Amino acid sequence: MRQEKAKKRESFDIASNTVVLLFALLNLFPLYWLFSSSVKNSSDVIKMPPDWWPRTFTWSNYADVFTNQPALRWTLNSLYVAGLSTALLIVTSSMAAYAFSKLRFKGRSVFFIVFISSLMIPKEVMIVPLFRISQDLGLVNSVYGMIWPNVATAFGVFLLKGFFDTAPDALREAARIDGAGEVRTFLQIMLPIVKPGIGALFILNFVQVWNDYLWQLVIGQNKESKTLMVGIATLMQDLNPNFAYKMAGATVAAIPMLLIFILFQRYFTRGISIGAVKE
Amino acid sequence: MIRYNRNVKEGLTGYLFIAPQFLLFLIFVVYPIVEGLRLSLYKVQYRTETFVGFDNYAALFGDPVFFKAVWNTVIFVVAIVLLTVAFSFFVGSAVFDKNAKYVSFIRGSYYIPVMVSMVVMSMVWSFLLNPANGLISYMAREMEMSTVNLLGNKSTVLPVVIFVTFATNVGQAIILYIAAMIGVPKDLFEAAEVDGAGRLHVICHILLPLVKPTTIYITIINIIAVLKIFVVIQLLTGGGPNNASVTLMYYLYNNAFKYNQLGVASAVGVIMFLLTLLLSVPQLKAMFNDK
Repeated sequence: MRQEKAKKRESFDIASNTVVLLFALLNLFPLYWLFSSSVKNSSDVIKMPPDWWPRTFTWSNYADVFTNQPALRWTLNSLYVAGLSTALLIVTSSMAAYAFSKLRFKGRSVFFIVFISSLMIPKEVMIVPLFRISQDLGLVNSVYGMIWPNVATAFGVFLLKGFFDTAPDALREAARIDGAGEVRTFLQIMLPIVKPGIGALFILNFVQVWNDYLWQLVIGQNKESKTLMVGIATLMQDLNPNFAYKMAGATVAAIPMLLIFILFQRYFTRGISIGAVKE
Repeated sequence: MIRYNRNVKEGLTGYLFIAPQFLLFLIFVVYPIVEGLRLSLYKVQYRTETFVGFDNYAALFGDPVFFKAVWNTVIFVVAIVLLTVAFSFFVGSAVFDKNAKYVSFIRGSYYIPVMVSMVVMSMVWSFLLNPANGLISYMAREMEMSTVNLLGNKSTVLPVVIFVTFATNVGQAIILYIAAMIGVPKDLFEAAEVDGAGRLHVICHILLPLVKPTTIYITIINIIAVLKIFVVIQLLTGGGPNNASVTLMYYLYNNAFKYNQLGVASAVGVIMFLLTLLLSVPQLKAMFNDK
């Protein structure tokens, strides 16, 4: 009886894992199709029945993407926007999170509640006034127009405060007794303790800004100021009917994030879960 | 006296530490919300603004496309969130107690589409679904199915968008569930096993209630993410055919940046803002109760 039950359990487990595995592979297929199409020539890519494995191998689509379009410039724009937004966010939000967690000042909890209440509101819903402000500040067609609204998010404060909360107050007291000022205590004692939080914030925010399509679409209007995602998406409207060329463009847009993911997978899974658990 | 000074000094330091973040917050979050509320009551033509009261809202409620956008957005939110929560829970519960290599393989393969982004995935799917030379259209033809143009057909375009969005984004929920399930103490399962409970029973009666906070979190972040669904609409369907797949965010974008109806677009923004605020209340409540 017991054994029978164990066997039944096994078969349910095996069945569900088979489904999970099957869907995982199915889910990866579009990416395989993306990569394999991008190295086909313009006639092979639309051949029916299709070549499941590319018969001809050509890099010319990639060369076309980089010569017909300022794809390198777009990539650099994306790296700059994502990198600088994230760096600035880490500076401003670690300072604020530290204050909310460790310093006593009037109205602290009110300020914090106001911050946190905005956490779930995507900036896209206020895209019209946000765009007009950016116009007034001369930020249209500028990478800084893409950067500042992303630094204004409360997410960093929310995430890092949880980390500062776990740092013992005794450390701060000890530093003060040793004569360290507030700034030194913050930089030399507290910041090193929240390093894992900063790492998680870096990865999460970098990816978030990298994929911040709609806002970058609105701000980067001329060709040179576009980011990689927005620029590559314009290939879809390109008159060039060659699908291999479009897929090469999409591959170029996919590769940086794929590399980051493969290199930092551990930090990713940790970072994403930390964002959820530190409520 | 000394103590008093210290408190004042610490208070001042506190304000200085939050100042940069707070300033940005005022300029790029608070001000746009106030300004958005104001603009929604104005007719805006380039730089001239005329107060029109609730005319913009009245215009919205007289526009069938707006209702289509609301309806589609609701369908997308409900369908995609349900699919995402159910499927990610299923995947999580199947793999969480397996060996680490397998878990990280599953996690990776579902998360990679999230990483390469909705833009890239929309481009691939639009190629796969292309009626003339897409792989899926070809296979549909081979199997002698009548409808080949899935994106050009009113009754198939919504399911396609739902599936593509779900398949691209489910990875994040899977990562969250796996992390939560690995965190459940092992002895709870062992106790159930001793009692002779089957795996399905353990999953439904022990795992499901224990990961409830994660379920709520996944539900809320996904509702808000789908509410602003835009990329897949712009790149895959263009809102078509004949507005069949238009969403609120796409409708807002078109009004603002194509038809130059900034007042109407602001009114849509205000409605979406109130919706997100309403939807985030349970999560915020949970967060503050924690404190």
